[in-house]
Amino acid sequence: MIRLNLGRPIMGFLRFFRDPVLVISLLLIIAFVGVAIIAPIYKMVEESRTEKGRELFDRYLNSPVYRQIIRNTIQMGLIVGALGTALGFLMAYVQVKTSVPFKRFMHFMALVPVISPPFAVATSVLLLFGRNGMISKGIFERRYDIYGLDGLSLVLTLSLFTVAYLNLKGMMQALDPSLDEAATNLGASKFRIFRTVTLPMLLPGIASSFLLIFVEAVADLGNPLVLSGKYDVLATRVYVAIVGLYNTTSAAVLSIILLVPSLMVFIVQRYWVNRLSVISITGKPSGRPQQITHPLVRWPLFGAAMFVALLIVLIYAVIFVGSFVRVLNVDNSFTLDHFDFVINGYGSEAMKDTTRLSAMATPIAGILGMLIAFIVVRKKFLGRGLLDFGTMLGIAVPGTILGIGYLLMFNRPHTVDWPLLGTVEWMPKLTGSKAIGGGALAIILVYIIRSTPAALRTGVSALSQIDPVIEEASVSLGAGSFATFRRVTLPLIRPAFFSGLVYAFARSMTTISAIVFLTTPKTKIMTQQILNEVENGRYGNAFAYCVILILIVLTAIGILAAVVGTRSGTERTIEGGA
Amino acid sequence: MKHKNLLVLVMLLVVMVATPLMSQGPKATAQEDTLTVLCTPQEDWCVAMTEAFEAETGIDTSYVRLSSGEALARIRATQDDPEFSVWWGGPADAFIAATEEGLLEPYEPELGSILEPEIARGEGGYWHGVYLGVMGFCSNVEFLDELGIEAPTSWDDLLAPELKGNIAMAHPATSGTAFTAFWTVVTLKADELETAEAGKGYDEEGAPTDAAIDAAFEYFSDLHQNILQYTRSGAAPGQMAGNGEIAVAIIFSHDCVKLQQEGFGEVLVNTFPEEGTGYEIGGMGLIKDAPEPEAAKMWIDWALTPEAQAVAATVNSLQLPTNPETPVSELSVKLDEVKLINYNFMAAGARRNDIAERFDADIAPQPTE
Repeated sequence: MIRLNLGRPIMGFLRFFRDPVLVISLLLIIAFVGVAIIAPIYKMVEESRTEKGRELFDRYLNSPVYRQIIRNTIQMGLIVGALGTALGFLMAYVQVKTSVPFKRFMHFMALVPVISPPFAVATSVLLLFGRNGMISKGIFERRYDIYGLDGLSLVLTLSLFTVAYLNLKGMMQALDPSLDEAATNLGASKFRIFRTVTLPMLLPGIASSFLLIFVEAVADLGNPLVLSGKYDVLATRVYVAIVGLYNTTSAAVLSIILLVPSLMVFIVQRYWVNRLSVISITGKPSGRPQQITHPLVRWPLFGAAMFVALLIVLIYAVIFVGSFVRVLNVDNSFTLDHFDFVINGYGSEAMKDTTRLSAMATPIAGILGMLIAFIVVRKKFLGRGLLDFGTMLGIAVPGTILGIGYLLMFNRPHTVDWPLLGTVEWMPKLTGSKAIGGGALAIILVYIIRSTPAALRTGVSALSQIDPVIEEASVSLGAGSFATFRRVTLPLIRPAFFSGLVYAFARSMTTISAIVFLTTPKTKIMTQQILNEVENGRYGNAFAYCVILILIVLTAIGILAAVVGTRSGTERTIEGGA
Repeated sequence: MKHKNLLVLVMLLVVMVATPLMSQGPKATAQEDTLTVLCTPQEDWCVAMTEAFEAETGIDTSYVRLSSGEALARIRATQDDPEFSVWWGGPADAFIAATEEGLLEPYEPELGSILEPEIARGEGGYWHGVYLGVMGFCSNVEFLDELGIEAPTSWDDLLAPELKGNIAMAHPATSGTAFTAFWTVVTLKADELETAEAGKGYDEEGAPTDAAIDAAFEYFSDLHQNILQYTRSGAAPGQMAGNGEIAVAIIFSHDCVKLQQEGFGEVLVNTFPEEGTGYEIGGMGLIKDAPEPEAAKMWIDWALTPEAQAVAATVNSLQLPTNPETPVSELSVKLDEVKLINYNFMAAGARRNDIAERFDADIAPQPTE
């Protein structure tokens, strides 16, 4: 018995080694994850395990103030995770499963938040619903106190739900409609089908969306800085500990406390989803998705989705209008100064740098995410869980910690004494203006490791719906692992790949907390410029930055859609055959 | 089959080892045609200054803007291999703290000895004053009307129950502005204690005692109830007041004037505490082991000239210049109209880190009901 239990994974491991391309990719991926994700985090863990660190652990965990902060953080994460997933589900469901007008419009509006830089939504919401908001004060004549949990939840939900939307929409489109038909033929009502067929099939997507949104919410820095009031969360405490005090020990301890809930959610999700995943793409022919036509279901859903879409329109209208007037809501005279500042003036450098670095990181993150997803889902070998886990740390760890970890780890070259070759510099200095590319390499690495997890999760979700029989068929016909991945798997999970790429680019363009410590005078990043503009009261400039940033991302999405395509191989087959 | 795999592995290892070796770029040569400035004042001033310096000298000048506390933290974090050559602007307290930690290098600029007030001449050449700014209260008149109160004219006015949740200031750990506000209250408390009993407010060296600092913490603990949010950047609360998010911002008066000049003229009013208010000397210093020391010294010499100091007014930064030759704007604060406290910069610099840390631990995270 024991021999058999041990024998299986070992045999799997050995079989694995027959495929050299796979082995090389795997080793490269492991080396990359080790150096770019694990090492900087380890640096922070090391810092927290000093004597001083243990004292701080004691102090924080026993102080009622810090316990409250920990509770706040988890509460906010759960609320935003749930709301964001629900909102993403609603928008995706309306998009895929109902026949209503204005679908393209709603789709577009659901995509916009992910491409919006930090502070954009927060600033706009403040101007609309804040204490002197154009709606709260202007129309309802109330100084609504938006600072705190309510404001944060609203802003974070609107900023983060897109990942759930993209994820669930992709999965809903991939659901095999013949299951619905079968259930209908067996006499099930629409609601029963939704509850017993659709929902269980989508559980992996729902769970992974929740996970992503939860960890993003608890790690978010930009919005609490603007909106938290005194609803303190761990991420801002970590931030102040580092930027204000440079107390790396305190920051490390706080971030390890912050890591615990993130990792717990992650582990629960893995355990749960692994048991619940249902295979739906079988490679057998299928028809078009059934759509809900019942007016009592269709129109309330449409109304809710439309309300959200219009709210987003309003938020972005504020940003758009705000970029063309001197000071919105105070001095509404028209000006082009803000755009002049960003395009011709000081901001142009940041605009070019950010776009270039993001464009370099995007394909790497997208392909890396899909490759790791493929390996993790399809290849049985020891440590694949660890690989998944290690990659996910790239997003589960608050950006600030990653940033400071990078600074601690890569601010000097690393050498190793080799027996024959002597001292070898295996890792040059990466951060600071004197490093490679003026510190640009460190920023690209952070972009990659911050966006790969999203691509990985969407990839895993999509892959766990595809019956491995299709790939096995490819292998038994003589194709290697790599050929199978490229010619069978990748086309099947094309929507996931596409959303992974879009997310990677948008994420890179809009990330702030991780790179705030890594920007150098030679590499300027737009989000940090936006932060400066917001903080120093030039909302107009900040909004102009946002408008341009959004245009850049939209252009990139257009290019990606043209190059990669948004539809999966199965859909094409269906259309080709019809 | 086995041999083939082994071969692949070995090749891979060779590649992994060799790649970093080959990718080593050419070492940067120490030419001084560039300069990297760590800039603490508001962004547009940083832009105007670096552009003016570039025009004057032809040196390719770039900057990164960080608030005082952040700048100090960044210099500390990168002291083994500094990225910046000169640190310009922000309250001198942070420069004194940096001097004590050995992060700055002395340099005596030509104009260093003519600066006014005298404290701006620094000590030992580690830092030099480039401007003077006065602490004040920046209030939204409409909001005050709604609350039915007058603009605050004393620190105790800020504790009024009407102002609950309606005040903002920055966090002293990140912001020099907020630290200046804190030290102002420390000094006022020290004066009070000293009046009650000689030797209680100040020690023999003229530094405020721990009792005075404790009293200031008590004040900020009370004030905490009225604070809506601690911002990162010192000037940020002024913007919140302008937008009607809060009634009162505790900021430097020149930041309030700047906002008044840039669209908030009707809504913002600038007041000063009658019992006395603190002030900053904006500092400037050469960073130790600076990558571009010669260019940095040129910057320091230049930044003290009337031409360089006059750049401030072009971006509505109306601090008082330290070079007496620099023309002063009508809109700048008139020192004979406000009561300045005796701000002990050396003592403030020495206590800066402790206070920032204690504020962060004891005040900022406290819940309010």
